[in-house]
Amino acid sequence: MDAAENEKREKTEFDPRTQPIVSVVKVSKQFKKLRVLSDVNLDIFKGEVVAIIGPSGAGKSTLLRCINQLERVSSGDVLFEGNSIVDDPKNINMTRQKIGMVFQHFNLFQNLTVRENITIGPKKLKKKSDGELQTLSENLLQRVGLSDKIDVYPWQLSGGQKQRIAIARALAMEPDVMLFDEPTSALDPEMVGEVLQVIKELVRSGMTMVIVTHEMGFAKEVSSKVAFMDAGKILAVDTPEKIFNASGNERINSFLAKVLV
Amino acid sequence: MQSLFEIAYKYRALLLSGAKTTLILSLVTTVLALIFGTILSLMKIGRIHVLRWFANAYVEFIRGTPLLVQIAIVFYGLPMIGINFPSVVIFGVDCERLVSGIFALTINSSAYVCEIVRSGIQSVDKGQMEAARSIGFTRIASMRLIVLPQAMRNIMPAIGNEFVTLIKESSQVSVIGMAELMYAADTIRGISFKPFEPLIIVAVIYFLITFPISSAIRLVEKSMRKSVG
Repeated sequence: MDAAENEKREKTEFDPRTQPIVSVVKVSKQFKKLRVLSDVNLDIFKGEVVAIIGPSGAGKSTLLRCINQLERVSSGDVLFEGNSIVDDPKNINMTRQKIGMVFQHFNLFQNLTVRENITIGPKKLKKKSDGELQTLSENLLQRVGLSDKIDVYPWQLSGGQKQRIAIARALAMEPDVMLFDEPTSALDPEMVGEVLQVIKELVRSGMTMVIVTHEMGFAKEVSSKVAFMDAGKILAVDTPEKIFNASGNERINSFLAKVLV
Repeated sequence: MQSLFEIAYKYRALLLSGAKTTLILSLVTTVLALIFGTILSLMKIGRIHVLRWFANAYVEFIRGTPLLVQIAIVFYGLPMIGINFPSVVIFGVDCERLVSGIFALTINSSAYVCEIVRSGIQSVDKGQMEAARSIGFTRIASMRLIVLPQAMRNIMPAIGNEFVTLIKESSQVSVIGMAELMYAADTIRGISFKPFEPLIIVAVIYFLITFPISSAIRLVEKSMRKSVG
């Protein structure tokens, strides 16, 4: 049994038409005495836009971060493109190249310009040429509407601009899935729109996305599936229409009543 | 007052040579301590338990014992167990004590630099590392490309202060017969039979060296605050 055979044995064939691209299986997470996630199951298929909503402290961000293993699970499994990623420190970096993440607090690299923020991943990890990097950064900046900010430093940008650059940076790695962790929660209200606009364009382009958000109108508009979480559990997964208008669940209805003005 | 200037002028060669040695001691030590201190701090925050334990023990012990004792151990104790220092010429300063002096000061300063570097690294927002990892960079690559460059902004002024501290602390290697500035003061006290004046002169010289450097560090810190906003 040589090395090549071993490789093949470890990686099962993945068919995006029948298998979910991301699969969270019976995941629980314990943090000291606190049960943050309890027996969570969620499948995300290619092309889906899944919104995760619910009250604060429900474990939404934790669940999202389990998908790219920024959080480790206490029990259960997370599968990406058919393969388990929970106990695989050797391959996690390669896997993360295919999963883009946008953070609530942007996390742009402060020591690099906008151009460098976008190109550092493709340059160092994918060994792209200068010409390719130039085209890549120009296209992405045009897509998010910030072509004139290419040589500027993050501290010179507004919150909304930072987040749009953060989206461009994540897209630069050409991921298969994009994760959004409350992308507009840290923004002043007048800047929320410009960021949601960019995310909507991304949805139209067919990207598979998981979005943790408090923007209910937005979630209702763009998502193909909504998961409601509370106290570490997923209470319901359904179409936006069902969750927002006709969910039979007390808990969900009372939450929505409070949130939707 | 007049006699101070007279004495200083009369023994200017000794004083100049002493000051030069002090600066070389401090400069070389700062550079070496920066290297070893950084290695120590990476050991301290790294994943390998043995290295972490060693770095912690080293820093605690060095910071918990007097520099003077450490200098004495290096100079008197090590040769007794067979470790001898070569006689070296650095920048025109020829001194058999030079290597052991630098060695002792470096061992001491590395422990303090370790803490400076560690706290500089840990003051960088955790989100920076997370973002780098989420793109697919390894822990080491994330440190090298994103975290350490930002940590440098905090670390550099503190290293500057460590350099100034070393200029003063280096006076303690005079006890092993190292011909730096404090030793020059003692020598002049002996040959001039003036017990007090040479100490004042040397104190002034130390101040003339440290004050411009400290002020420059303050200016650099101020301008860094402004540019990052």
